[in-house]
Amino acid sequence: MNQNHIEFHGISKSFPGVQALSEVSFSIQRGEIHALVGENGAGKSTLINICFGVLRPDKGHISVNGSPVQFETTKDAERHKIATAFQEIPICNNMTVAQNIFLGPTPKTRHGFLDNRFMNSETKQLLRVFDIDRQPTEAMERLSLAEQSLVQILRAVYSEPDFLILDEPTSSLSVEQKSRLFKLLEKLRTERALTVLYVSHRMEEIFEISNRISVLKDGRFMGTVDTPDVDHNRIIKMMVGRNVEKHAYARNSALGETIVEVSNLSRGKILKDISFCIKKGEIVGLAGLQGAGRTEVGRAVFGVDRIDVGSVSIEGKTVRPMTVRQAMKMGIAMISENRRDEGIVPAMSVRDNLIMVSFRKASRLGFLAGSWIRQIVETYIGMMNIKVSSSQQRIDSLSGGNQQKVIISRWLANNPKLLICDELTRGIDVGAKAELQARLHDLAKKGLAVLLISSEMPELLSICDRILVMHNGRITGELSHEEATEEKILYLATV
Amino acid sequence: MVFLGLCAVFSILTPNFRQIPNLINIMRQISEISIAAVGMTFIIICAEIDLSVGSVYGLSAIIAAIILRSGLGGISVPLAFLGALAVGALIGLFNGVITTKLKVPAFIVTLSVLAIARGAVYGVTGGYSVSVFPKSADPFFRIGESIGGVFPIQIIIMIVFSVIAGIILSKTTYGFQIYATGGNKKAADLTGINTDRIKILSFVFCGLCTAISGLIALAYLTSVHPSAGVGREMDIIAAVVVGGTYLYGGRGTILGTFIGAAIIGVVRNGMVLLSVPAYSQEAAIGVVILLAVISDTLLRREKA
Repeated sequence: MNQNHIEFHGISKSFPGVQALSEVSFSIQRGEIHALVGENGAGKSTLINICFGVLRPDKGHISVNGSPVQFETTKDAERHKIATAFQEIPICNNMTVAQNIFLGPTPKTRHGFLDNRFMNSETKQLLRVFDIDRQPTEAMERLSLAEQSLVQILRAVYSEPDFLILDEPTSSLSVEQKSRLFKLLEKLRTERALTVLYVSHRMEEIFEISNRISVLKDGRFMGTVDTPDVDHNRIIKMMVGRNVEKHAYARNSALGETIVEVSNLSRGKILKDISFCIKKGEIVGLAGLQGAGRTEVGRAVFGVDRIDVGSVSIEGKTVRPMTVRQAMKMGIAMISENRRDEGIVPAMSVRDNLIMVSFRKASRLGFLAGSWIRQIVETYIGMMNIKVSSSQQRIDSLSGGNQQKVIISRWLANNPKLLICDELTRGIDVGAKAELQARLHDLAKKGLAVLLISSEMPELLSICDRILVMHNGRITGELSHEEATEEKILYLATV
Repeated sequence: MVFLGLCAVFSILTPNFRQIPNLINIMRQISEISIAAVGMTFIIICAEIDLSVGSVYGLSAIIAAIILRSGLGGISVPLAFLGALAVGALIGLFNGVITTKLKVPAFIVTLSVLAIARGAVYGVTGGYSVSVFPKSADPFFRIGESIGGVFPIQIIIMIVFSVIAGIILSKTTYGFQIYATGGNKKAADLTGINTDRIKILSFVFCGLCTAISGLIALAYLTSVHPSAGVGREMDIIAAVVVGGTYLYGGRGTILGTFIGAAIIGVVRNGMVLLSVPAYSQEAAIGVVILLAVISDTLLRREKA
């Protein structure tokens, strides 16, 4: 009798430029709660998506109850009694709670009409599970984020799956809701032998609920352990896997005076009392796992998102950041984590993308200053070693690394004092990555203060003078370049 | 390319087509559309749309006509210009502010304004044409005349206007910000470009262009009917899109729009010369627009 409910056999999957999963093989036993952990980009989401038929593996296959299956669509996965509650919640905001629960399997009356009465009464029952004080007929958009994610879970549970995938289910839940969820999972596990794949960054939850833990690292399977046999540190060691080469760059020995001071930034539940400072010429890393609030810190300092309280001061000039234009005037620059949607203007040329911040300079009577622009563009193409055949080339014909160099140049042309980089090297190949990091290091040496938000441990460990670690909207610790290790960062990011 | 091909085909099918007077006539016919389409080009590059132009065209012409008719003497001519341009600019301002600040889709805002402005036209005219003017209005109608009785002044206005707009779009910081706003609004916002202001300015500019177009029509016809410009928004948008401006923003040129307007003008003119019935002409214009957009999309896909 095969105890294994789900087996992964040599699953590989690559996306342009990244090997998301390579040869991942492990198994999940029937009726266990199996935790899946790993750093950002370890391949957890890809694995879930393959498991639920959203993506197809390049190589390898999944077995359900011992027989190999091939999922073409999510429907195929549902047929094998697999259900999932996604992290990024696909819901129809305009529809009612009941309609969302019944999005897939819509019950009909004898006449072929929607059976609203049945849907509503069933939903009422379901909502009671979590004590959600809502009517089935309420519009989804009126629910809180926590309630929405619970509805999502209820929807998955309602389909009576044998195998349930939960991706960061507790990220918006209260303590009470969380314990109800755990009780529900435990009950379904013992009564119906439900198998759960539980993906989470939160170690204490994983130790509370899971039976076994599997670890992914850079798309590779690192091992499965029995939860009672291990502790937090052991799991972190597995997540880290190897020792990272540090000290790749000579430290900037002559750090200047403090020029950036961020005090008490707070915004709802997302940012809690964020304070830090950066010296002239210093690269400060901002580490943390997905959802910790790192990007939000960058956006708050740059004036993109409103904040409740807090202030930012550059060279003694203090403001409560309100708008991007104010932040720019103070000398702040930000490179968004989303190069495609918030960075490049794809239809414009390299030249136009490069002057997007500085074009007003030297312009006369509203006319672009052609010769000045030519000079700036040439300077930066040379300085940043941007590989183009012509500055009139469209930017979307460049590689990711070269696009990012154009974006950096765009800001440098405005002489910023603080540069915020959010996932500067994401999706960029190894060689270009190293080059970008070297450039950043050069810029810091010339006196630029840098806040480097990154999910890449080697990057943080090699070029940052200091690393701040965030978890749940708070800065949970600070590590100097010398004391920082991947283990310490991960520990602070999961406490 | 398409444009030259069309000209060749019509030249072969109907010898009258390539007569100089006919070519000048085509130019005159497209000048009204072309000037309004210049403003529309700015808006579409911003990734917005303005459906109200048909009524703005009519309303500004009516306002100018009423001022000219009022017999205020010599001052009535500059007042007519001012009145029409103010109407265009104010409606553009309204469209722009509601669209950007209240975040109502431009499609809905300008569709409503299309109806409101048309209602205003019928309201101020009581449904009658304005066509009898005192002597003091004569200087105004000069712009509808032709130099030496051959070469219409409005063609010169169109050319000067297009060149200026082309320079604004390609050489000024304002033009640069229009492309950035339409090319990627989020990225533009994050580089400190005031995308709302750029969009509002473009709506105002489009209103002005449309008003000028209305003034030219009034000067040429020396009368204006309350239904003037009904359906005109479609011709204007079609000229822009046929001219290669990307409906989702970020790409487009004034030269393209001019060619787009010319293609539509040539097709219309050619069909008249070939005595194609009026109803089929409308359908043919539709086919031209569709073909232009499909071929543009296919070309883009090939490049990508």
